[in-house]
Amino acid sequence: MEGFVAHKLAEYEQGKISRRRLIETLTLAATAAHAADRAAAAEQPALKAALVNHISYTCPNFRQAADWYSKVFNLDQIGARDRDVALPFGKKGEQPYNVAARDVPLTHLIFRTRDLNPAPAPGEAPRPKVQAVVDHVAYTVADFDREKAKAELKSLGVENVREGGLYSLHMTDPFGYDVQISGLANNALTDG
Amino acid sequence: MERFIAGLVKDFESGKLDRREFCQTVALAAVVYGAGEAANAQAARGFKMIGINHISYSCPDYAKARDFYASVLGMESTPGKDNGKRANLMFGPEPGKGGSFIVARTAPADAKPSRAVVDHVCYTIANWDEQRVRSALKAKGLEVGGRDGSLHVFDPFGYYVQIASAEAENAFRR
Repeated sequence: MEGFVAHKLAEYEQGKISRRRLIETLTLAATAAHAADRAAAAEQPALKAALVNHISYTCPNFRQAADWYSKVFNLDQIGARDRDVALPFGKKGEQPYNVAARDVPLTHLIFRTRDLNPAPAPGEAPRPKVQAVVDHVAYTVADFDREKAKAELKSLGVENVREGGLYSLHMTDPFGYDVQISGLANNALTDG
Repeated sequence: MERFIAGLVKDFESGKLDRREFCQTVALAAVVYGAGEAANAQAARGFKMIGINHISYSCPDYAKARDFYASVLGMESTPGKDNGKRANLMFGPEPGKGGSFIVARTAPADAKPSRAVVDHVCYTIANWDEQRVRSALKAKGLEVGGRDGSLHVFDPFGYYVQIASAEAENAFRR
């Protein structure tokens, strides 16, 4: 911008453009530059989700749910408390799949049993009415082969296993929640 | 195993092993073999989890959800996958290399109720800077709640969205 202004000023000083033309040109350039800055700022998200940190799953019996997910997905249960337990997608010290950043932890599931509509604490605003639902969660598993996966799920006693298109299977967990599994082939470019 | 047993029989017949040694060796071989089978069978049970593939999110207007998650959490609507009723919102590693996405859909709210609910999803922000994160959320006109390292907002449909650092939300630090 500075170079452009200097150039236009030199043209004015050399009589190549009028004073009016100089002012018009510099005004247009300055406002355009500002608009571009604003547009760039608006387009650039200030935050960027690196990965799912955790999914919070609430049901009548968190231990039963946790045991089912441990069995099906080979997940350890850690940090069990009276009303919840966490199931990380790997062992301590491991990195999430294809994530290099050291400050992005393994995703984990938290299974809870709790009141989903507690009265707001004193001084706290009531929560807005929820009009959206996460109706299923899909998990990526290693070496996914649909037919082998179907047989494996059957041997594990998983209920309501059904087709989920070319690359995945759906099933129902002990609380009727829809769970999908697939391999890396099912992704944002191929789904839908 | 068969070859091993055949060798033992041969040794027994040639007198290299007496009856007692033969029986003990076969029994031991059976135990070792069985343990190996059990270990293999155990390792083969279930699936190895790589990560979240996608989160299926149904709401009254997918476009509002799409714009919110793109604007607030930097997710990218997959080109060619917005059909006016749903969109795939990508984040994390590349698609096909472990990346995740939200499928934002317009869907009726009278879906069959489940006995379980995913009541919130928490997203990790790398290079966490408390002031920067709070400011960015407020700049979007959002009411920000939570504690240091773990903040929350509500999306346009009242869904609780948590945003956290690796220090504040980590399964191994519970």
